[in-house]
Amino acid sequence: MTKCKKKKRQDDFQKVKLKVGKTKPKADNATNINFRTKGINLTEQLKKDANAPTTHRKLNIKDLLSQLHHYSGTVKQGALVGLRELLTLHPSELDQHLSSLLSEAAAVFTDKDPNVRMSATRLLRFIAQSVPAERTSPFFPLLSAHLSCAMTHIETGIQEDALKVLDVLLDHYPALLAARPALLLNNFLELISHRSTGGGARKGQEGKGRSWALSVNPNRNVTGQQWRLTVLLRLGRFLQAVVEERRAEEGVACVSGDMFSVLNGQGGANAPLELNWEELTYRKGGFQVFEHSGAMPTPHSTFKLRPETEPGAGVSEGLGTGEAVRGFASTLVPLLLDVWVEASASDRSKTDSAHLLTPDAMSLMYQVLSILQLLRKLAPQREYQDTLDVWFRSEYLGDFKQHFMKNFPYGNLDTPKQRRKTDPKRSKQSTTIPGQTVEPLALNVLLCQVMVSMVTLSQREGQAQEPDAEWLMPLRGFVQETLSSGAKLSQRHLHTLLETVWRMVITQRSRAVTEDLLQAVYVQYQQMNLNLQTRTLLLSFYSRLYLQEHNHTHIARSRVLSRWLAALPLQLSQLGHRNPALSDRLLLSIQAAASRGNKALLNSLHTHACRLYDPQEGSVVLLPAESQQRLVQLLYFLPVMSQGLLANLSRCCTAGRVSAGLAASLIRIIHLRSSLSGWSVGSQDMTLRDVDYISFLFSTLTGFSSDELATLQEAGDESVLPPSPLSPLSLYPTPLEQFTHHWDVVEEVCHCLETLGSRSQCFDVLQNGICKNLTGLAVVPDSMAAGLLRAVARLLDLSFLPSEPLLRFLSRCCLSLLSLLLTLQQDTASENNHKREAVWGACVAVLSSIPRLLRLVLQSLRVKDLCEEELPQLAQILSLLLQHTALRNHMLANATLLQHIIQDLTRYCRGESKEQWMTDLLYCYSVTMATHRGNLGLRDIY
Amino acid sequence: MSAPMEIVLSADSAGQLWNCAVLELHSGTNLLAYRGGNTSSRSLTVLNGEYILGAQLGKNFINVWEIQRKDQLQQKIVCPGIVTCLTASPNGLYLVAGIADAIYLWEVSSGNLLAILSRHYQDLTCLRFSDDSSHFISGGKDNLALVWSLASVVQLDPSHTPEPRHVLSRHSLPITDIHCGLMGPQARVATASLDQTVKLWELSSGEMLLSVLFDVGIMSVTLDPCEYYLFCGGSDGGIFQVSLCSQSLSRDKTFQSDNEGNQVFKGHRNLVTCLSVSMDGTLLLSGSHDETIRLWDIQSKQSVRSINHKGPVTNALIIPAPANMFLPDSRPGIPLPRFSRHLNPSEQGEGVETGGVCLRLAPHTQSVFGDGENTKVRVSELEEEVRTLKKVNKDLYDFSTQLLTKPS
Repeated sequence: MTKCKKKKRQDDFQKVKLKVGKTKPKADNATNINFRTKGINLTEQLKKDANAPTTHRKLNIKDLLSQLHHYSGTVKQGALVGLRELLTLHPSELDQHLSSLLSEAAAVFTDKDPNVRMSATRLLRFIAQSVPAERTSPFFPLLSAHLSCAMTHIETGIQEDALKVLDVLLDHYPALLAARPALLLNNFLELISHRSTGGGARKGQEGKGRSWALSVNPNRNVTGQQWRLTVLLRLGRFLQAVVEERRAEEGVACVSGDMFSVLNGQGGANAPLELNWEELTYRKGGFQVFEHSGAMPTPHSTFKLRPETEPGAGVSEGLGTGEAVRGFASTLVPLLLDVWVEASASDRSKTDSAHLLTPDAMSLMYQVLSILQLLRKLAPQREYQDTLDVWFRSEYLGDFKQHFMKNFPYGNLDTPKQRRKTDPKRSKQSTTIPGQTVEPLALNVLLCQVMVSMVTLSQREGQAQEPDAEWLMPLRGFVQETLSSGAKLSQRHLHTLLETVWRMVITQRSRAVTEDLLQAVYVQYQQMNLNLQTRTLLLSFYSRLYLQEHNHTHIARSRVLSRWLAALPLQLSQLGHRNPALSDRLLLSIQAAASRGNKALLNSLHTHACRLYDPQEGSVVLLPAESQQRLVQLLYFLPVMSQGLLANLSRCCTAGRVSAGLAASLIRIIHLRSSLSGWSVGSQDMTLRDVDYISFLFSTLTGFSSDELATLQEAGDESVLPPSPLSPLSLYPTPLEQFTHHWDVVEEVCHCLETLGSRSQCFDVLQNGICKNLTGLAVVPDSMAAGLLRAVARLLDLSFLPSEPLLRFLSRCCLSLLSLLLTLQQDTASENNHKREAVWGACVAVLSSIPRLLRLVLQSLRVKDLCEEELPQLAQILSLLLQHTALRNHMLANATLLQHIIQDLTRYCRGESKEQWMTDLLYCYSVTMATHRGNLGLRDIY
Repeated sequence: MSAPMEIVLSADSAGQLWNCAVLELHSGTNLLAYRGGNTSSRSLTVLNGEYILGAQLGKNFINVWEIQRKDQLQQKIVCPGIVTCLTASPNGLYLVAGIADAIYLWEVSSGNLLAILSRHYQDLTCLRFSDDSSHFISGGKDNLALVWSLASVVQLDPSHTPEPRHVLSRHSLPITDIHCGLMGPQARVATASLDQTVKLWELSSGEMLLSVLFDVGIMSVTLDPCEYYLFCGGSDGGIFQVSLCSQSLSRDKTFQSDNEGNQVFKGHRNLVTCLSVSMDGTLLLSGSHDETIRLWDIQSKQSVRSINHKGPVTNALIIPAPANMFLPDSRPGIPLPRFSRHLNPSEQGEGVETGGVCLRLAPHTQSVFGDGENTKVRVSELEEEVRTLKKVNKDLYDFSTQLLTKPS
């Protein structure tokens, strides 16, 4: 048994003898490694999902989203890339899955793998590009929660990438981000500093001890300075977004930020209703003026019972109140100062002169300053901004002076080029920081702006200004030098500079300073070839300054300003029609100054008035309608109205290049200027002589200048209708448009003449005018003839007897017009209707108001002079006159004359063919006579 | 005949028979006429229901009548220049006049000249108070209408010139007329201008609510008491009615053809210079340069009555009849003091102040922008002050009752 066991054991465990120098026998279970492996990546699914669109890997959106929870970084990254691909191919997926997409993508902001984070940022940018802000807004709390989670993450890499996410959001959803500023602001602070915990005791000692201190994290792969720069850059952009959002909220366009871009910054939130009387009368429905039926004042009311928010809210409650902004500023500003001090200290070591800065330091300072500037603008309301400025001044003026002003102005340090090449790491670093190239000019300009905002409007204590003067000197010198150097400045720099000048002028209240600064700006203004925007900017700067003058005597007395004003009319006339927008700007300023009775402007306006109101190439005919109206309104303020100007204006009215409505208001304004109107213009009463005024009215009434009339007389027969016995004057048919225009003007002139005072005298003047100037004409425009008849009919006083020559001329006009009427009636085009009615109305009115005129007309109808074709025309005229009820009685008074004419007519028309027109005439005649006799008969009976 | 409720007060620039006449509103009978001089445009005003004041046309004084003594000119207030417009505050405490381009503000009780406001650049055309006397609006030939808060204007603060609360600067030609509606600081203000527009503003915010562009320059404007309609008197003699509330009753109105005629009151032949609506909003009064005043029924837009004057009408207004007007024996509550012509009478050596105390508010200097602790201190200070004041008041009361009840 035992033997057997032994044997067995030996069989099982044979001892392998290993000997030195012999190869080791292979073990039985040794793996043969003589094979090659090849990996098979199943990146694509085999199955095809017919329902949902897929990527090229045949993954649909659900798969991809679920892959985001995978532990492996590559899978996650692949999923993110896949998502981007899917969304580009099928944008409709974005709409359906936006909620889950955003929440999943945001969750990987804090992923450990930098590649995943980068892909997530890319995906977010892609989504942001294609989804508008209002659709993202429901998911935005989630996004910002993840964002602040990433920003406060303990790993520096995640923090850095969080800033990139922030960039994306700032690019696309600034308003959404700015709506909840509180949390993010704290995050920013924590990125560059830490809250010192044990400050309680110190706080008590120092009063306002600083609970935040700058921190440096040595683990970062960039230097502390560069890291701060990147953070500050984002902070600046974020604050900018907040400021802009606030401005949009308030709807106030003229917060000092863009004070010059909107000239009359009254664009309140609720736009006023602008109505036109004509529209109003023809419109069916009414309109609503008062909101909430007028029971509540608009939100812009300046009466407030109590402040809307409780005071004392800290940073944590956002930047809604002035207190909050101040709280935030008191934390941030010391940090900013520290940042700059550290940077400048390290910079100092590299350079000899403190004026010269390395590019890094310069961009850092630029960011610091722009954040300071933005902080100022953060104040929720205008009044808080001033208090905030005062606070800034009291807290930090000393620090600012010490750290910023000592080495002003700053210049660029020329870093030798080869040094960069030898130091590739450095150059790489500097390229990674965005926006690092800041010109020294931009920096200096911004510094000016920040420092000048420190100067407060302290009128009460004039002595307190003195210390300011010392540090303001270099600033002022710099501003003056930059502006007057004649170099072209970019739009943004100029804007900032102008704001600085504005602030200096308002606060300094010294005439010499104002003069110098304005002169420097004027140098810029006088430059040639400025583009429209810059020109407008400068223009609005001056005009705003002028509008502000009332409470600043030093501005009002400025010589530069008045020189600028005086140059405006010339500029306007030189500009012509080339740039209507700019002309409009100019006009606004001119109008404001004219209404204030500015002497310099009015004189210059007077000098250039004839050019401006030239009927051929003056601004008044070249500019668009709105500017024309302004120009016309400007007439009211002109100091003296010379004869030449009135002649020009009369031509403007009649030439048809201004609309009839505008011509009417022009006449009305001149009417108001005349002492005959009953409206006293003011101190300068006798500036429009009555003679000139009446001659203006008369030449407007005729509608044609004497030169034009003279050329008409000599013109050949091709343009005018030839005279005939039925039409003693040859009429010049004016185009329909001109006729209607002139007709409207005539109505207005008649109205002015009617209200002048004594009617008979007025008519006398008119009669003299017509007799002297017009009775000798052989060719008369039809619009003029009709207008004269109209005026005579309207102005005639019953007690006044018109003179014989006038009546003769009028009768000729009347007869000619009547025959014109017949030719007009032949062509039945509807556009001539108005003309026909006007001519007929004028004839009837004048004939019925002056019976003697009718008699003259009838007398001039000599049948025997007429040729055969004209007989029917005469008959038509007669029957027209007979048919009109207003004329019937007057016709009857001339019954014998009428009878003669009709007898002659019947004799001359050869009797053999009684034509239609003859029967008509005889019928009309007999009816008229019959009713007359009937009346007589009735009278006889009673 | 019982005393009329509302009367028409009218004046023309000729002033041949009388300076201004008082008419019964409904019958048009001439009740009274005040004689002496003539009155310039927009300068006839009733002070406190006891005096009638009117600026003399082209001269530098203001005529004053006691309201019950129609024949006799009571006083002439001599002013530094020609008065272009004049108005008294509805509570009868202040008098405001436009002289050239400056606004003069007098306190009626003492006659002191409280302020000269020269913010306008050209002559003034119109001055109006709000119905609670808290604000007044001035319009001038410099296209501006300014809203002034009376409280801030009368503040005694020599270093600080009063600023208007709002500058209404959207007109482009001179302002011709202003109307201030009811409801105190929440009122709506209508301004008319030669630039052919009428604009409606909100007094509290200074914002423009409405602008209506017409075909002619507008010389006068008014609102009815309910502010349903805006009436605008044109320079061609037409009076235009703009409906400010939408009427949704148009369901059964199909006949619209005479829509245009419906909204114009036609009758005057020259500038309509003054407009006024009666208290119940049914009658419209208009005065014109064609030397008539007309009374219109607003509902039917017909001229009810036309009354001829001897010259261009300068003032026509409907006012509730003052109680004293028809009681010949009544006396004004307080005699009218001498109105001073200079800002500080003591410095100018003109008129020695005797006994009167001039009470004017100092500007509010305390900044509210402070932390909680400061406010608390401030509040407690104020409470303390109130307590002291109450005590002083009580002492005064006790003293006077003692004095009055003492049998002597």
